[in-house]
Parts: sequence; C-alpha cells; structure tokens
Amino acid sequence: MNLSHFEALAVFALLVSTVFGLITKKTPREQFRYGVFVFFSFIGVAILVGWLMYPLPW
Amino acid sequence: MSNANSPNESADSESTTPAVPRLNPILTIAVCVSGFVLPGLGHILMGRWIRGVLLALAIGLMFLFGIAMQGELYVSDLSQTPLRLFGFFADIGVGLMYWLAEHSKLGVGNMSARTYDYGTTYLWVCGLLNYLAVLDAFDIARGRKP
Repeated sequence: MNLSHFEALAVFALLVSTVFGLITKKTPREQFRYGVFVFFSFIGVAILVGWLMYPLPW
Repeated sequence: MSNANSPNESADSESTTPAVPRLNPILTIAVCVSGFVLPGLGHILMGRWIRGVLLALAIGLMFLFGIAMQGELYVSDLSQTPLRLFGFFADIGVGLMYWLAEHSKLGVGNMSARTYDYGTTYLWVCGLLNYLAVLDAFDIARGRKP
C-alpha cells in the first residue's frame, strides 16, 4: 500500500477520532460531534504546522 | 407543610436515579482481558455492541493499514536499544493480532518503503488505543460510566 502523506494522515485522523469519540463521550450524538471535531482538528493542525514549517530552510 | 431537607425526600431522589450496573471483580477482569486480546470484545460482552464493533473496526483497520504500509512490529529483544521496549509495549497492546502477525512473519518492516514511518506509527497507536479501550471497558464494568 503506497498512500501519500496526506492520505495516510487522513486515514490516521479518521480512525483515531473514531476511537476518541467512542471512549470519551457518553451519548451517540456527543460521540459523533467530538469525533468530527477531533478529525478536523487533526487535519487542520497538520496543514497549519506544514505551512509554518514550509519556509524553514532545514 | 413540607420540609425540603426531609430524609424521605432525599431517599426518593436517590431511588429515582438510574442505577449503573456493576460487574463483580472476576467478571471485570474477564472483560478487560478479553478486550485486550481482541479489541472491542470486552464492550461486546457487556452488551455495548455498537461501541464494541466500532472499536474493533477502527483498531483492527489501523493494524491492517500499518502492516500493509510495511510498518515494523517491535519484538522484545533486550539486546537492542532499550528505547525499542517502548515501541514493543505499544505494539503488544493490540493483543492477539500482534501475536498472529509476529508468527506469520508480518510486520518485519521495510525501511526503504515510503510509508514505513507511517506504518510503524499506525502499529504503535492502534496498540495504545486498545489500552484506552480496555480502560473504558473497566470503567463501564465498575459502574463508573453508563
């Protein structure tokens, strides 16, 4: 399997956010909302940090 | 005339609170061990079908992705650098799947593969997530969580 970095990141975020949502919240609605929040947080922070590191020469 | 602090009223309010079922210690250990061996099984045994199946799918898929991305499963080889023991501890958290993969010669790891680092991280994290799932099953079994 030869995923790109972003694809691997997205799959990682999806699976981890599923588990985090399931074990930290009680009701299905809360679990879904928290899972979606964690998923987009993973993606957003990765893109942000990627752009912050982009001008670094080393 | 009513008294807000009467003992009868407090007893009534306690009786209306839904009781969270609590397993005995031996069943709690059985649930935790089964959840450790097969991710999600502890929740399924307690009747949390949906939660258990979703945990099994998420953790199992993560393990399979890690193997497919040519990640490395660490072994308990004390002759190697001691820091690898942390990776071994994370890897064995996934239970039976680690043992099966290890005995099938999967998870050898190919450092020249582009996805080696991601695959190895997937394998660590799915084991660590299963530790969290076991703790969640423990909390449910002891009545700390609905």
